[in-house]
Amino acid sequence: MEKTYVVIPKNCTGCRTCELACSMVKSKRDEAGALGKPRIHIYPTGPQRYMQMTCLQCVDAACVKACPSKALVLNEETGAVEVDEERCVGCGLCEAACPFGHIRFDRDLGLPLKCDLCGGDPACARFCPYQALEMRP
Amino acid sequence: MARLQSTQQLRQLKERIVAEKPADRRAIAVCAGTGCKAFGSFELVEAFRAELEKQGLDKEVELRPTGCHGFCERGPLVLLFPEGRLYQRVKTDDVPEIVEKTIKGGEVIERLLYEEPGTGKKFEKEEDIPFYKHQHRLVLRSNGLINPSSIEDYIAIGGYEALGRAFEMGPDAVLGEVKGANLRGRGGGGFPAGTKWELCKKQPGDLKYIICNADEGDPGAFMDRSIVEGNPHAVIEGMVIGAFTMGAREGYVYIRQEYPLALERLNKALDEARQRGLLGEDILGSGFGFDIKVNRGGGAFVCGEESALIRSIEGRRGVPRRRPPYPAQKGLWGKPTNINNVETWATVPLIVAKGAKWFTGIGTEKSKGTKIFSLVGKVNNTGLVEIPMGMSLREIVYDIGGGIPGGKKFKAVQTGGPSGGCLPASKLDLSVDFDTLIAEGAMMGSGGMIVMDESTCMVDLAKYFVQFLRSESCGNCTSCRDGLDWMHSLLQQVCAGEGTMELLDQIEQIAETVRVSSLCALGSTAANPVLSTIKHFRDEYEAHVEQGRCPAKVCKSLITYTIDADKCTGCLVCAKRCPESTIEGEKKKPHRIIQDGCIKCGVCLDVCKFDAVHVE
Amino acid sequence: MPVQVKINGIKMSAEPQETVLQVARRSGVHIPTLCHLESVESTGACRVCLVEMKLGGKTQLTTSCNAGVEDGMEIMTDTPEVQKHRAANLEMMLGRAPGSQKIRALAREYGVYESAYVPSEDPAIPGCILCELCVRVCEALGHSALAAVSRGGKKYIGTPHDKPSESCVGCGACAEKCPTRCIEMTDTKKTRTIWGQTFDFVSCETCGAPVMTVRQRTHAVETKELPEDYYTTCVACKQKNLAGRFARVGS
Ligand SMILES: Cc1cc2nc3c(=O)[nH]c(=O)nc-3n(C[C@H](O)[C@H](O)[C@H](O)COP(=O)(O)O)c2cc1C
Ligand code: SF4
Ligand code: SF4
Repeated sequence: MEKTYVVIPKNCTGCRTCELACSMVKSKRDEAGALGKPRIHIYPTGPQRYMQMTCLQCVDAACVKACPSKALVLNEETGAVEVDEERCVGCGLCEAACPFGHIRFDRDLGLPLKCDLCGGDPACARFCPYQALEMRP
Repeated sequence: MARLQSTQQLRQLKERIVAEKPADRRAIAVCAGTGCKAFGSFELVEAFRAELEKQGLDKEVELRPTGCHGFCERGPLVLLFPEGRLYQRVKTDDVPEIVEKTIKGGEVIERLLYEEPGTGKKFEKEEDIPFYKHQHRLVLRSNGLINPSSIEDYIAIGGYEALGRAFEMGPDAVLGEVKGANLRGRGGGGFPAGTKWELCKKQPGDLKYIICNADEGDPGAFMDRSIVEGNPHAVIEGMVIGAFTMGAREGYVYIRQEYPLALERLNKALDEARQRGLLGEDILGSGFGFDIKVNRGGGAFVCGEESALIRSIEGRRGVPRRRPPYPAQKGLWGKPTNINNVETWATVPLIVAKGAKWFTGIGTEKSKGTKIFSLVGKVNNTGLVEIPMGMSLREIVYDIGGGIPGGKKFKAVQTGGPSGGCLPASKLDLSVDFDTLIAEGAMMGSGGMIVMDESTCMVDLAKYFVQFLRSESCGNCTSCRDGLDWMHSLLQQVCAGEGTMELLDQIEQIAETVRVSSLCALGSTAANPVLSTIKHFRDEYEAHVEQGRCPAKVCKSLITYTIDADKCTGCLVCAKRCPESTIEGEKKKPHRIIQDGCIKCGVCLDVCKFDAVHVE
Repeated sequence: MPVQVKINGIKMSAEPQETVLQVARRSGVHIPTLCHLESVESTGACRVCLVEMKLGGKTQLTTSCNAGVEDGMEIMTDTPEVQKHRAANLEMMLGRAPGSQKIRALAREYGVYESAYVPSEDPAIPGCILCELCVRVCEALGHSALAAVSRGGKKYIGTPHDKPSESCVGCGACAEKCPTRCIEMTDTKKTRTIWGQTFDFVSCETCGAPVMTVRQRTHAVETKELPEDYYTTCVACKQKNLAGRFARVGS
């Protein structure tokens, strides 16, 4: 793992470009409602203050432990916990298990949605106009 | 019953039994197989018992209920020893006469002898009857000789000697013998048993299983049932030899639910074998232990397929799984498993006892030994026949089967059970062996053989088999489940005279998909009846779709029943019997069928004594 | 010991326990599937993953999902023969599931636009292609609440004895994974109805939205040895609450 994903809330203006970038990049499927399902969410936490919330890629992740089908796997290269779509049986336990609400089970796709760091070059960070999301060495 | 501690003791026991019951002793063997049982042979046994006691002959004459003799159509069969005289269709009323005249007086009762249809020639001895004369009975031979419920009877004819021999030879030599004999599986596939055994033997680990496939799901087939009923020890002995060769400690017989008699005899035989130390720990003092459990089948045809059968024993739904991995690699409970058919197992002791060389002397180059067929349909002599591989279909149908009854013409013979193929008269001289039949789009299968005469509609027949397979498909594969369903609908259209010639092409295309893209052999062979009939009887299909005509006058939508006014005497019989009351007419005046109401059941045709009903 | 295989003429080294499908996908070769999941048993039911396999001088079609690789195997994934029979199987499935977009789209790729096949038995579940993926998924989750019943065209998927199953927890995984999405599952704010049974939801402590069914939670608590009060907040509230907490810590 060369770089680490960092969130810098004080830079965040709440423009939600990251959400847009994420859902654009991830909505490769033509199924209904794929667009508009970002893996990063922006929450206002005060006047002109925002918090960007996305998966923390826990080392000892609750979702990984909860998954009965070994469908959530750590990508050693990027450090991201990824969803193996060929293995997921659609039980939704990962969503329930994550204490932070960072993995959401999507009923349209029958798959959980979570940040996978776009394979090491996250779109959100790339598109954030204010350096509020970054990959740092 | 004392345990036998060695082969030496087995030999001594045999000598003792033979001394007590010499071969030339007088005996009455009554067939007590399922077929003859249906004709009342159990009552017959009781009647003989009572009569012999009454006459004070019960010590002198042995009464022996036996397994199936094969000539079921003529049952109940009574075989009298030492002459080998056969009485057929014997009733309890005949018993006093038989005891009085034949047993005491040595006189032959003509009425009970077999009479050849057509020639009227009578035969006294079983071995002279054409049905038996042309057979080569290796496996079935003992059925008429022994009481299947008596292990002594089996030992008396040399039973379990092969096992003793196997222990002396050692596993490698036994395997060599089975391989050398080129024994091919009798359950349908014809796969060399030796190759399978070798693969299983080679697998590491000491937990291995042996299975005997006695599921026998082919409609109309009963060779396996007859072997288990008539000679269960042969199967057990074969399995013990196999277990010893491959190093298995546990075996299963998976037996069809509907075979209560076979089950009873098998359980009895297993008990006796255990008591005699021929099963269980330390068999014949060899140190080798092996036992057999009985598992009752789920009743589905597809459960006879080995991977489905294994899942069924494991208590799961009986559906086939892809092979490889083969059972020999990963079988019951994931362990190496060897599965063979009843007939295959029953042949093993013969090979071990008499040697591979003897066995390979029978049959063709690639198919050795004999095969049992259940010969049914439009032949004079139906029943179980055991023939050397390579015999022609003609010999089976005409010499053994006695030809077609009622002066009708032979049309086709179907071999290989529901997914076998139909062969026309021009193929009658084909040699019956594994490879020739496959090459002709038919197959050996487990030994079903159905003879058809000119009154059979080949389209209707194909439809019948597709219907059977459609409902017996396990339903896993799209191609097999839906393909057969689709073919069936299209065949219904053909039988109704609908559609065009394109329909036939469509059927052939779907058949091809069913054949090449299904998982197990049920699917991959299911198209045989259709493809073989389209190939050999295309004209009949064409008559249906092009001319709306069923040449065999079978397909209901394409035939009409009419009454010939000239021949009709106005007896009213048909009108009374017609279930739809659609025949009108007064007494003594010609009747008429109102076609709208006719359901084409054919009752009028059957009941008319004056040949006045015609079908077109 | 790795084995050597060829996929569409390209040499590949594979582990003996791998399937043809795994090796093909690993090497970027696309093979369509409908009833396959890596985490459940492969039964080869739908038959669209058919490929042509040459081994020991014999060429035949086989499903790639459940075919283990063997040394010397030569696999062709897109020959005319393969296409023809994939198309035929897809036509049959389209006959069963004319409303499934997924099947329709895949069928279209093989030149099948409409199906001439009409199943002779009325289906118990309209649109079901009888692949049993739901059964296998449920079994993999340890519930085994579903089973295939009967054979041939009469086969259907149901709960044991067609009665509400006690082992069903209402997780809905079967419905999620069904390739034709034909399993009826109706959610209200408080309940979920599936397979003839209505389950109560655990409602989010904060907003009242459904979290999971009560039975699913009970099962999860039992099998995963989690605290009783786990799974009480819905995913959206969990994230929102956490955002608030982070903000407070930050300031
Ligand atoms: C649909 C289907 C049904 C079968 N039914 C039987 C059966 O009833 N009895 C049998 O011995 N083999 C049956 N078989 C063959 C078995 O799968 C297996 O090949 C056989 O038991 C192996 O024994 P063998 O090598 O001694 O013939 C069936 C195969 C298929 C595909
Ligand atoms: S929904 Fe999929 S990824 Fe999530 S726990 Fe269940 S099987 Fe694992
Ligand atoms: S070919 Fe037919 S019987 Fe065999 S597994 Fe497939 S559906 Fe079942």
